[in-house]
Amino acid sequence: MNFLTLWLEKYFLPIAGKIGGQKHLVALRDAFIGTIPATMAGSVAVMINALIRDLPPQFFDGYDGNSIPIIREIIGINGFVWSGTLAIAGIIFVFSWGYNLAKAYGVNELSGGIVSTAATIAGVTFAFSGTISGLSLDDAAVASINEAGWAATATDITAGGWGWIPLGNLNANLFFTAMIIGFVATVIFAKLMLANITIKLPDSVPPAVSTAFASIIPATIALYVVSIFYFVFAKIVPGMTFLEWTQETIALPLLGLSQGFGAVILVTLFVQLFWFFGIHGPNVLAPILEGVFGVAQIENVNLFQQGGTELVIAEGYNWVRGSFDAYSWFGGSGGTIVLIIAIIMFSKRKDYRTVANLSVGPGIFNINEPIMFGLPIVLNPLLFFPFLLAPVVSVSIGYFATIAGLVAPVSQQVAWVTPPFLLSFLATGADWRAPIVTLVAMLASFAIWAPFVIAANKVEPEAAEQD
Amino acid sequence: MIEISSPTQQDKIIELLTTMTAGDITFTYKEKKGIALYFETNTDDLEEAAKIAKKAIKGEPWGSILYFRSVPHH
Repeated sequence: MNFLTLWLEKYFLPIAGKIGGQKHLVALRDAFIGTIPATMAGSVAVMINALIRDLPPQFFDGYDGNSIPIIREIIGINGFVWSGTLAIAGIIFVFSWGYNLAKAYGVNELSGGIVSTAATIAGVTFAFSGTISGLSLDDAAVASINEAGWAATATDITAGGWGWIPLGNLNANLFFTAMIIGFVATVIFAKLMLANITIKLPDSVPPAVSTAFASIIPATIALYVVSIFYFVFAKIVPGMTFLEWTQETIALPLLGLSQGFGAVILVTLFVQLFWFFGIHGPNVLAPILEGVFGVAQIENVNLFQQGGTELVIAEGYNWVRGSFDAYSWFGGSGGTIVLIIAIIMFSKRKDYRTVANLSVGPGIFNINEPIMFGLPIVLNPLLFFPFLLAPVVSVSIGYFATIAGLVAPVSQQVAWVTPPFLLSFLATGADWRAPIVTLVAMLASFAIWAPFVIAANKVEPEAAEQD
Repeated sequence: MIEISSPTQQDKIIELLTTMTAGDITFTYKEKKGIALYFETNTDDLEEAAKIAKKAIKGEPWGSILYFRSVPHH
């Protein structure tokens, strides 16, 4: 194990360190983290609606929350919260992205957020249109409709309008476009700021004014570069915005790939490997966990708000960021709450029992530092195998239960410190079957952990320490 | 005394903590036991000392990705 650690420090850690410390990736991670106040508030609103609007009809025939005073009002208020958060999650992210990128470059963060937002929104459509065909209109009707500003023939009406941004351009659909355009625009802005291509005002000018003025030239150039790109893109790919093209060619294939069993298992394995060797797995893998699975989660939350679990099942993603928490990382990465139970039940080692007893409280809230470093699990060859295998098995159970329709996909964002069964119940929009799937996953993990706990009884604590 | 449990980058952690100055707080490396490193510190507020050590390690490029524990050791 010592040789492995040295080898890791020499070859693996520098790569992980470069990924984990890469300023753009750190900014991306922080951009996602920065949206949490809004996305969590929106998720709370959607979750409350799930509990008072969508859950009761499963048990009470004829229940309609929208017709019950007070419940109806609460649902309405939650709708406002959702409109200002998850419905426009893309806008919130794009600002956070520009802000954090500018921070990484050491230039004005506020301007960075504004440039990123402006550049990305510049490319979305401001118009809507729709056609109804197969009509039979008389001349008078056709004339009145055309006079009103819409286009009508005897058989078709085409309605259109300018000055409307479709919500589908501002929600999770915006994320990938924001990552590209926001990045390009903010980096141009930052580089020009650093090159000092700015308007300089006398020292007597208040700092807020001089800072804003200093950003004018870099921001204008950045926005023009992006706008010229949009213009050329529209000529090359007519009839499609860059956002639509990104969705079709990058976002959807990438999100589709993330839904494969192989991708889910690979991510699970890597997170466990990182943890085991003392590296913060979710931090290093944040671009995938948050950038792909996190985007899929926001998509699911929005679908739930619009059409409940049925719409999530029909159009949403089966496996999202919160699915890992619901079915695998109970008690923390590795499903360590199960290990704690196994130790309390089977361990004869005083050191194990002491650590397990101290770890129960934090473990219920998915905090596992006490057991990870107390036993320890980290770099402990005896526990390497179950620590790696148990989450793979539990993820598989959650994955296939979801794919088979035995449980609703995760459609709510729930704080990771929520106790295990409650977490999966809330995360699936109050699906009572989710805690059962979690229990099955826990039992499978228990069956994997228990033999190793029993085997550890035969190992002297001193011998384990020397290993 | 404070305990820093980290399986990797132990040499860098020792070097960082024994050479850093955080106000009046200093750290002196005492011993290594498994993955745990023990440091004497000149303050009675061990919670604060553990927090300062954790922040310092997290602030390093090599430390930002580490999964480690920094706690008082009585």
